[in-house]
Amino acid sequence: MPELVGIYTTPGPVADCARHLQARGFTELEIYAPAAFPELDDVLDPKPSRVRLWTLIGGLLGVVTGYAMTIWMSYDWPVVIGGKPFASIPTYTIIGFELTILFGGLATLFGLLVVGRLPYGRFGHEDRAYSARFSGDEFGLAVVCSERDVEEVTALLRASDAKEVNLVAP
Amino acid sequence: MSAPSATAPSALPAAPRRDSKINRDILAVMDGISPGYLLLVAICLLSVTAAGATWIYQVYEGLGIGGYTHPTFWGVYIVTFVFWVGIAHAGTLISAILYLFRAKWRNAINRSAEAMTVFAVLTAAQFLGIHVGRIWKSYFILPYPNQRGLWVNFRSPLEWDTFAITTYATISIVFFFVGLLPDLAIARDRARGLKKLIYTALALGWQGTARQWKSHSRSVLHLSGLATPLVLSVHSVVSWDFAMSIVPGWHATIFAPYFVAGAIFSGFAMVLTVMIPVRRIYGLEEYINDYHFENMARFLLLTSWIVGYAYAIEYFIAWYSGVEPEQTTFWLRAFGPYWFSTWTMISCNVIFPQLFWFRRLRTHIPTLFVVSTLINIGMWFERYVIIITSLGNEYDPAVWGIYTPTWAELTIFAGSFSFFAMLFLLFMKFFPVIAISEMKELAIHERAHGAGQGGH
Repeated sequence: MPELVGIYTTPGPVADCARHLQARGFTELEIYAPAAFPELDDVLDPKPSRVRLWTLIGGLLGVVTGYAMTIWMSYDWPVVIGGKPFASIPTYTIIGFELTILFGGLATLFGLLVVGRLPYGRFGHEDRAYSARFSGDEFGLAVVCSERDVEEVTALLRASDAKEVNLVAP
Repeated sequence: MSAPSATAPSALPAAPRRDSKINRDILAVMDGISPGYLLLVAICLLSVTAAGATWIYQVYEGLGIGGYTHPTFWGVYIVTFVFWVGIAHAGTLISAILYLFRAKWRNAINRSAEAMTVFAVLTAAQFLGIHVGRIWKSYFILPYPNQRGLWVNFRSPLEWDTFAITTYATISIVFFFVGLLPDLAIARDRARGLKKLIYTALALGWQGTARQWKSHSRSVLHLSGLATPLVLSVHSVVSWDFAMSIVPGWHATIFAPYFVAGAIFSGFAMVLTVMIPVRRIYGLEEYINDYHFENMARFLLLTSWIVGYAYAIEYFIAWYSGVEPEQTTFWLRAFGPYWFSTWTMISCNVIFPQLFWFRRLRTHIPTLFVVSTLINIGMWFERYVIIITSLGNEYDPAVWGIYTPTWAELTIFAGSFSFFAMLFLLFMKFFPVIAISEMKELAIHERAHGAGQGGH
């Protein structure tokens, strides 16, 4: 299947054109951007990013680990001070808090890797539509289409302010 | 196959003909090694080696080669530890807190500040090992299963500190790496040979697809949300190493906010001290300009007042409490054997920063450089005052003592600065010193709003 790549200089037209293409039934789209732009975030995948689930689960796991570890260890080797309880919850809150952050942060990193499909998936230049221009200051909108649609897609990309349209080897 | 209006296959160039100016300017910092740079790295290496050799001698000979005398058994090592933990606070503050507040001026400095955070934490962490008497037993602080069935005491502030510093080091590195990821891809696309291989591995195949950017923005937001309370907690926990004891001068409820403000104050000062020469040498004036300096100077002024307020309140409470040992400690701080440290601290941290009331001085680079350096000196002395004067004059005058640092402690102290500087020098040659993709975000936004008003 041929793949067409429209090159843009601003994010607005990329988002507009991608939506337009989706409405016309083209689903195999990819957007490349040199920086984060909120207007591009929800074009291809309108659902909220699943990274938040990772952070939440990591954080909860951290807080449970922090309290469970400290309390269990206090009872496993009790330090007897007067009639006081073996576990002192207020001070263990510090450990619980630190582990919430630690586990939450590490889970966020793993979430970024899994949700962003890193480092698996298309690695570096193996992706035929990718170009070093997209780590410069240009945007790309890649569309996979059947041979008979090449003309239509090219016209659509051009109409949406693409400064160039390139056909990548099929 | 027909492709009437599209250019022929394989027309996509491997590298852009005309790279973006931001890429060129910032990646240029990584190119070429000047003799001056090499000389600096060599000096740092020499000093780190001297410190390392001194430390080995100390492990062999014992802590007696330090200036410890009864009752002062926390000396320059702990002072320097607290100092470096403090320096580590600016990076996370700039990256996380200013990110949450959408303060766009952080973009020019956040990368180098994050790097400084990582390096400062690494420097600080070494002092935990350096200052203990039996380094080979330092792993006792970790809760690991052992034959004696013993667990660590989680009521101890030193144990809290272990968890706080470890967490802080890990999260700072994660934060640094996540922010660096898109810029590593930029470096990868422009490097050749072995460098390309290394950056390809480090960039994890980042392409800047919509999906990647979306999860990246989300992750940065979440990491900021996690790091904001973390940055406040870490220096609070460090302050509790002192405040949980009953030593006069330490046992104060103001310690946590006082330490956090001081940490941010010193961290910002260090960012200025380092970035002013870097900007000058590598011609980054376009990216780090008066606007950034003025904001940083305002931040220094604000935190200087918080720190000054804490100094005043400490004295007030000592007087108001009517507790004699507390009053004596504070009297001796100002007029006792350590008066020099105290007045250095007050003049560097409270008096000199008042220059920043004037707009002209907030953007006058030599003034900024001198004052920020003075603040660094003042903040080191602040920790010296807190630790040494309090320990030296505890409840019983019969056991008071005078502590003077020895050559060994000063060599290791100097080595810590060289270690930090060396890591930063290496960082400048391996990674983009300014967050390129964040600068581009601003530049492209400007371009979009200048050119395509109708489109939005």
